[in-house]
Amino acid sequence: MRASIPLGAIFDLNGPAEYVSWHFIQISVPNLVVIALMIVVFVAALLIPFPKREREP
Amino acid sequence: MNDPVKPPATPDADAPWPGPFVRYDLVKELVVALGAVIAVVVALAVLFSSPDEPPVTIQSWSRAAPADFLAIAVTELNRTSDVATYGPPYNEGTGSVQKIGPISLQEAAGVKVPIETARDYVLEPLHEVPGAPRLRAALDAYEAAPARLQEKWAANYEKALPEARFVAGVPVLPPGRYGPVEPMMASLLAMGQSGALDGALLAGGHRFYATDYTKPLLFVSAGEYFEKLAEHQHLLGTQWGMMNETGSFPGQVWLWLFSFWYQVEPFKSSPNADALIFVLMGVLSLAFICVPFIPGLNQLPRRLGVYRLIWRDHYREVET
Repeated sequence: MRASIPLGAIFDLNGPAEYVSWHFIQISVPNLVVIALMIVVFVAALLIPFPKREREP
Repeated sequence: MNDPVKPPATPDADAPWPGPFVRYDLVKELVVALGAVIAVVVALAVLFSSPDEPPVTIQSWSRAAPADFLAIAVTELNRTSDVATYGPPYNEGTGSVQKIGPISLQEAAGVKVPIETARDYVLEPLHEVPGAPRLRAALDAYEAAPARLQEKWAANYEKALPEARFVAGVPVLPPGRYGPVEPMMASLLAMGQSGALDGALLAGGHRFYATDYTKPLLFVSAGEYFEKLAEHQHLLGTQWGMMNETGSFPGQVWLWLFSFWYQVEPFKSSPNADALIFVLMGVLSLAFICVPFIPGLNQLPRRLGVYRLIWRDHYREVET
């Protein structure tokens, strides 16, 4: 039972999700958020410069 | 020493590395990456926890929708349910056998999880009810009757079920020729509502390791009640349900391509959709693995030039 959990999450995500529909495509907002975060991580991995290291001759 | 910018046309594999060396601590990188991932996982668990949907059991189903429970139970008894006519791996039926052209992998694998719905879902569980002489007499009468009469009783019961009323939890049907099926179904409903049927189906022949949920899951999934719950949570196949999770949690985003095929023709309306999509995804996965060997596609990384963005410092240095 949800009410008997001694330690709950700070943000309760057990409520119904919002869905985005476009033609036959249907996707939940939480899934869209995850996709957006993956794109952000991908772009960051491309753009954040490598740390400069000391080179040995 | 060779010029590092312009390597020789035929590099000598045995020649010493002419370029600079960089210190690199692989163990340190592993420890830092592991620590970072653990920190993120713990933080997300504290912030969002995990899905906590109460399980759907035969008990919760039979209490919330007793008429739906009985409608499925009687089709299990007269062997006309989806499970009874499914085919491999449960029985020799043909109701849900899928083929790719003339080939059926499902039939080739054969019956691996045998289920005889009348025996497994109704008769055997009812035989376990202790001290019920009226039920015992009904079971004896049913089992002694010829198959055609058994089917007729069950068919009459199924037909009259939409007009059933529930008096103090007991199903009351209009007068009809139901034979012993009526008291049997009333007992099965009581057994379901008490939770005993969950235990009986879960345990099956293995009384110690009761972890095989195949039978109760197949039983529950046949009901309209379960389908409506799934629809409410956007978990049906027609709702891209494979990608979704209960509540507002993100689901299996990586299954988008599998889900996609189920939404478009010819797969959407095909009775062989699972088998066809299985083969299609196999072919696409093989093509993906073979990208380095497919002319044109194997030139994509060079043409897109993403590598130049990643190693931009190097190329800036080389090109100036």
